[in-house]
Amino acid sequence: MDLRRRTFLKLAGATTAGSLIPGCKENVHQLVPYLLPDDQIVPGVADWYASVCGECPAGCGILVRVMEGRAKKIEGNPSHPINRGKLCARGHASLQRLYNPDRIRGPLRRAGKRGEGRFEPISWDEGIASWRERLQTHRGHALMLSGPLSGTTAQVVKAFMDHIGGPLVIHDPLVDHALISAVDARFGRQVVPDFDLAESDYVLSFGAPLLEHWRSPVAMGIAYGQMRQGRPAVRGRLIQVEPRMSLSAANADRWIPIHPGTEGLLAIGIGQLLLTRQDTSTDVGNSDAYPDLFKAFDLNEIVRRTEVGYDDIERLAVEFSSAQAPVAIAGGPASAHTNGTAALTAVNALNMIRDRVGKPGGVRFFESMNPSIFDQKEAPISERGFLELINEADAGRFPLVHLHHCNPLHTIPPSIPVRRLFERAEFIVSFNSFMDESTDLADLILPDHVSLEAWSDHEHLDEGRVPAVGLAQPVVRPLYDTRAVGDVMMEVGRSIDEGVPEILSHETIRDAIRSNWEALLSQRNRTNEPDWFETAWIERLKEGGWWGPARGVQSPGQDRRSPGYEYESALFDGDAAEFPFYFYPYPSLALGYGEGANLPWLQEMPDPLTTVVWATWAEINPKTAMSRGIRQGDLIRVTSPHGFLDIPAVHFPGIRPDLIAVPIGQGHRTYGRYAANRGVNPLALLGALFDRDSGRLATAATRVRIEATGRTGSLTMIEQREMHAMRDLIGIDRINTWIRGSGKE
Amino acid sequence: MTEPKQSSSSVPGPYKWEMAIDLDRCTGCEACVVACHAENNIRISGEQEAAEGRAINWIRIERYWEGEYPDVTVKFMPVLCQQCGDAPCEPVCPVYASYHTPDGLNAQVYNRCIGVRYCGNNCPYTVRQFNWFDPHWDPPLQEQLNPDVTVRQNGIMEKCTFCVQRIREKKELAEKEGRRVRDGEIAPACVQSCPTSALVFGDRNDPDSQVSKLARQDRGFHLLESLGTHPAITYLKRIT
Repeated sequence: MDLRRRTFLKLAGATTAGSLIPGCKENVHQLVPYLLPDDQIVPGVADWYASVCGECPAGCGILVRVMEGRAKKIEGNPSHPINRGKLCARGHASLQRLYNPDRIRGPLRRAGKRGEGRFEPISWDEGIASWRERLQTHRGHALMLSGPLSGTTAQVVKAFMDHIGGPLVIHDPLVDHALISAVDARFGRQVVPDFDLAESDYVLSFGAPLLEHWRSPVAMGIAYGQMRQGRPAVRGRLIQVEPRMSLSAANADRWIPIHPGTEGLLAIGIGQLLLTRQDTSTDVGNSDAYPDLFKAFDLNEIVRRTEVGYDDIERLAVEFSSAQAPVAIAGGPASAHTNGTAALTAVNALNMIRDRVGKPGGVRFFESMNPSIFDQKEAPISERGFLELINEADAGRFPLVHLHHCNPLHTIPPSIPVRRLFERAEFIVSFNSFMDESTDLADLILPDHVSLEAWSDHEHLDEGRVPAVGLAQPVVRPLYDTRAVGDVMMEVGRSIDEGVPEILSHETIRDAIRSNWEALLSQRNRTNEPDWFETAWIERLKEGGWWGPARGVQSPGQDRRSPGYEYESALFDGDAAEFPFYFYPYPSLALGYGEGANLPWLQEMPDPLTTVVWATWAEINPKTAMSRGIRQGDLIRVTSPHGFLDIPAVHFPGIRPDLIAVPIGQGHRTYGRYAANRGVNPLALLGALFDRDSGRLATAATRVRIEATGRTGSLTMIEQREMHAMRDLIGIDRINTWIRGSGKE
Repeated sequence: MTEPKQSSSSVPGPYKWEMAIDLDRCTGCEACVVACHAENNIRISGEQEAAEGRAINWIRIERYWEGEYPDVTVKFMPVLCQQCGDAPCEPVCPVYASYHTPDGLNAQVYNRCIGVRYCGNNCPYTVRQFNWFDPHWDPPLQEQLNPDVTVRQNGIMEKCTFCVQRIREKKELAEKEGRRVRDGEIAPACVQSCPTSALVFGDRNDPDSQVSKLARQDRGFHLLESLGTHPAITYLKRIT
């Protein structure tokens, strides 16, 4: 790397000199060159490195612009099949994770009592020695709590935990376990299938967060643009069914504010009508799909419970049956109930009836890449899985707890007592880069690099038309005294015992990645040259990864569920009389579950629907608010059976009158200067209710009541000021039209 | 239009930089807003300054609620400097800091600006933003700053430049290679990152450029076009 950089700088110097000559010359031709805007002058030449974005598990390909050893700008990698040169707001902001002033700058040891937040710096040798000692004492009794993992890193962490003995628990609050479980029930595959938005002409979405959090929101954005305006003569339509208007619903052609928890019922109603229309419609395919399911409910009852009118249901059925390439898709609030899997199964049945599985514009599975070099993948566990884990911890099974890029004390509600995992532990090691709520309880902190400083790879072998593995290289030298967690695990793993698994026998994570890539590339790029791999490796580094040819669509597996499958109703925590409102905390577009809250660009990014910055707010229907005398910005007390929070109210026209919605993301007690003590974490109000089949936390299943506190909250909205200043552009245009109109009279 | 070897400076206005924004594609995801902050060294305002209306965004997503529950719809509209052909901000500047480039951009010469804010007052699109404070980055956040773009101090008016540093770079490259800038070769930060490709940038003097094709569509309109500002941004209506 260094050598390449040095060579590059020499070349760069020469090109810079060359490029400046015509620039200067041109300026001289202008009469007053020093009065040109000075940002028209291009002083340096940039170096670009291909890598992989680490802000969310989507793993978009990026190109990072580096000048004088500093990362300046991130752009999408045009050749990466997931994001094709595009990038979302969070991807851009990962630069502020790299240069964040609140990073942990070296190994730390707890100085005060646990949780007091006092740490002292130590050397890496001390840190590793202290960790190794604990590993030896608690051999076989360690626990690793990790954020989502991919590629070689996933293998290394798994192999390490197998080696020292103890479970690797992957926690990712954005994983839709209900969707995976519904797909598994029907097709026997534990993957999120590909919903081909781009080629569909009618997308019927039951709460799916397509444009916010659907795997790669960038990939979905590309598909959405294609669906709307990418094809001559076809403009795809999007219908969004959900109790609160999300960003996806805001972009839909029609928003249907359904009664919370009845999404599956509506799908059943539509299915009934589709089946009765079967005689008249030519291409209704699979009428055997769940016949019992569709008979179980009377349409009148469905109308009553969903609060969607008969005409609306009929219109949906007519549209769904007459569209050329319709697709039904569900997620978000539809998965966030105790009947999440049941609801998603019912929605999926619509695709079965219309025979939309394996078709362009429908639901697709792709041929898997077996045998994959990245085996040993550990699936994320559901929130209900944590209850079991806590029981085991209570029995003293986990005296040693590790935290790897996750913050369960912030992302899991206190009604699931994850704190006990920490309390029962004798020793807690964190590899996190920031002092978050969970790391704050650690005894030893061995900080990892941030993604822009680290080697990693990110595989997309089970998903997408084009199989891909992104390759991430460090784009800058590590800023601080941090170490790649893979390197540390290999070093410690080797020193603890002989006979380490092969993946841990490498010197560094880079070597492990190279060895995997040699296996990956030898199947395809091998030539007779002895150094074929070096050449291929450099090529892949420049390209940012490896992508195969587009693969075929695979026919789905067999239905594993018995035909007598029954729908069930959603359960709620809290008495309807005492707690008259439904409550829905949803992941923030910018901050996710809170991991983006320490990045000022994301704090400053206005929420698209409310334009709020730097805060938490509670969305309330304007009529509900007015009837209770709650003005915009008034602090309201939201009380659930599990506690209360005071949150400033935002009058939100796109929400049911019986629902309160609050974005997740803020409410950090610690996590750096930009995040700490800002807003609230609405997860605190949730009860421990789960989707029956998948165990996913039912985040929409808690009821609340609201009271005005008589105080005004701190709520900054970008829009408010503009309305006061009469800067509403449509308003101005209306006034103009009015002035012109009256002038003519 | 131009000979390959001809220098662009000898032909007045060989390029006319324009943008098309397809509102049927725009989802309001704000990727453009953050991309712009990253590219153009836009300062971090913080909550207090944002509350006082001092936050700076060169591009913003306007959101309009229409109707009442349950028949409520939302429209998003990205608004940035319209790079007007007849810009109201230009004639009012007493020191010629607001200036019209031969390529049709409304440039802002920061080192001429004396901060009278007449231009901001006169802009019907409210896209000019004044620096009421010196910018500050908590170290080492300043390491990210783009060396191609000036950091603006207190008392300076700033606005979208269509990423003039990128235009400049590609123009010079094309000139060196004795050709015109290719369509799609220049992408301002917002255009480049837009996932749905709602934003398209290019040379309007080239009738075959993507932006020219889009701007000729029936759905095209200009923002507040009755004011006669002749914006360089064509919006394409959302279909509902």
